[in-house]
Amino acid sequence: MARVLEHDGKEILKKHEIQIPHGTAVFNPDEAKQAAVRIGFPVILKALVPAGKRGKAGAIKLVHNIYEVYKEAEKLFNMEVSHFPVEQILVEQGVAIKKELYLSIAIDKIERKPVVIASSEGGVDIEEISRKNPGKVKKVHIDPWSSFPSYKGVEIWSDLGFKGKVLRQAAALTTRLFNTFKKHDATLLEVNPLVMSEDDVLVAVDVVLSVDESAIYRQPELKNIHPASERAWRPLTELERHMVAINEEDPYRGTARYTEFDGGDIGFMCGGGGASLLLMDALIKSGGRPANYSEVGGNPPENKVYGLCKGIISKEGVRGLFLAHNITSNTQINVVARGVTRALHNMDINVSVFPVVVREAGTHDAEGKKIFEEAGIEYHGDDITLTQAAQLMADKMRQVYPDYDQWGDN
Amino acid sequence: MAILVDNNSKTVIQGITGREASMVTKLMLDYGPPVVAGITPGRGGQSVEGVPVYDTMKEACNNHNLNTSLVYVPPAAVLEAVLEAVENKIHTILIVTENIPQHDVLKILDSAKNNNVRVVGPNSVGVISPSEHCKIGAIGGDNTERCFVPGSVGVISRSGGMTAETSWMVKRAGFGVSTSVSIGGDALIGSTPKSLLPLFQNDQETKAVVLFSEPGTSFEEDVADYIAAGHFTKPLISYVAGHFTEDLPEGTVFGHAAAMIEGNVGRPSSKRKRLLKAGAYVCENFDDIIKHLQKILR
Repeated sequence: MARVLEHDGKEILKKHEIQIPHGTAVFNPDEAKQAAVRIGFPVILKALVPAGKRGKAGAIKLVHNIYEVYKEAEKLFNMEVSHFPVEQILVEQGVAIKKELYLSIAIDKIERKPVVIASSEGGVDIEEISRKNPGKVKKVHIDPWSSFPSYKGVEIWSDLGFKGKVLRQAAALTTRLFNTFKKHDATLLEVNPLVMSEDDVLVAVDVVLSVDESAIYRQPELKNIHPASERAWRPLTELERHMVAINEEDPYRGTARYTEFDGGDIGFMCGGGGASLLLMDALIKSGGRPANYSEVGGNPPENKVYGLCKGIISKEGVRGLFLAHNITSNTQINVVARGVTRALHNMDINVSVFPVVVREAGTHDAEGKKIFEEAGIEYHGDDITLTQAAQLMADKMRQVYPDYDQWGDN
Repeated sequence: MAILVDNNSKTVIQGITGREASMVTKLMLDYGPPVVAGITPGRGGQSVEGVPVYDTMKEACNNHNLNTSLVYVPPAAVLEAVLEAVENKIHTILIVTENIPQHDVLKILDSAKNNNVRVVGPNSVGVISPSEHCKIGAIGGDNTERCFVPGSVGVISRSGGMTAETSWMVKRAGFGVSTSVSIGGDALIGSTPKSLLPLFQNDQETKAVVLFSEPGTSFEEDVADYIAAGHFTKPLISYVAGHFTEDLPEGTVFGHAAAMIEGNVGRPSSKRKRLLKAGAYVCENFDDIIKHLQKILR
């Protein structure tokens, strides 16, 4: 999944003949002022960040006159919303609201079908509306093979109490939104609020569009949009970007994912996906303090192992290394051993005072064992379990740093 | 006895001429019952490791009796490959390919359901039944016995690596596996843990099931309901990994794509609570699997 920024999502809706407020994206307060004058007051200023709950974060402002617009825009540009710095804001015409509605299309992973959710109330979280007023929410599943039957749109809004021109308009809009969802391989397309203006026109005032990263290859229109990944809860750190670069150097051989934590003192170099989760839990339970999370697997070449290991150790405060994987059938342990020992050597790490625990079993592990042991590193293969390896790591930290358990207190 | 794959599996590999698929063809041939045929459009008449290659599934089915397919084609071609297999009456389809567009996966699962076809995956490493000496997929690599020995424990895991490690834990406890299933790391998959329980329930060889779980999805909650309703009566041993993710901000994906926590759905702590309440053996540490198995099976 990747979230498309709001103004790009709105442009896509516009192409599908869904009405959006007149607006433009700007990069500084001066541009915001010019745009506001061109659009006419009142205007809405919205921080363009790939995160939800912007209203609650104070990242959406209603501005009534030219005197306020520069000041408010400046405030937004100085903000961080969910850790994302604001680099662009959307200046939009304020729409006179008669009524706020809700409409979304998503993939229901339990029913395994696209689901249309509509409500005669909007502007707040749909979960909240659904809890307080379940009768005002309609949920309809659509066959993944079929296009959207237009009568379904009429049915949905008719059940919600709409009539006449607005009913026909809402039904047509639902069909268009569904077509957009399908055409662009969306995983979520949410309009909240969908505003009924004073003159009974439906306008998509706020749009969230998440697209499927696995389908970007068949979405030429989305290729230039650079969707923001939803993998992180904040922008990538410098070290994380560096690790992405190491992974991309040889993208088809092995994967290496790295997420930095605040604090921590054990470099965590583990994999694959499931084992990393287990090892992280086990290490924390044993009293260890991981400095990062990682998933390394799929038989990476030596240089990737080397680069990743160096990166993990280079983080400030890292005083030990935990290298462990589930028993693998494809990752070559001798290659891992060469990459890791080279990184340790290159960083001038003295393994007699820098705890390293290895639990690597799999292809060519006899040779791997030899390489580790020649470098003075204690090697374990399938003589111990993953849980035991995590315990051993924490024990070694305490052994080398007798006050290890007190570090966390200050 | 075993589930999903056994001596009666007549396997065809879709995309057999690819690098990885040819390698897996050899691994499967070395381990057990033969791979009967392969499909790669435009490569008909060739052979891979002695296995004949056909242009179409229809042609392969005209020449052989086939019932199981292993899908190794690129992401953009998986939907078509599955439809071709379904139309030719293949009853079990294992999809190895990952990163398939979700809209395609919805169609794959819908078509499988409507035609009563069992899909395992996408993103599955394979299924193995050691007592039948039969596997489909790369599971076990070239050293299958290291982790997978015959026995009476069923293993289910989203993570391919943990399918191996969990089966190895079963061996370490002094037992073996009836069938180990790598169900795939995505949220949209053909064989959820719950959908495999009736098979293990009916399999006489299986005396207990170990389920390795991760954050995200409602798979474990569904399993808990299924056990609580009395549909699965054999011991189920569960370990849920990823507790640390509960202390991180929402929307963070660790491990597999499905391991995303949204609100309260899919939290490891609530999964454990639900499974415990339903009567499952819930492990505090992964090593407790050994203790539970020794208590249950001895």
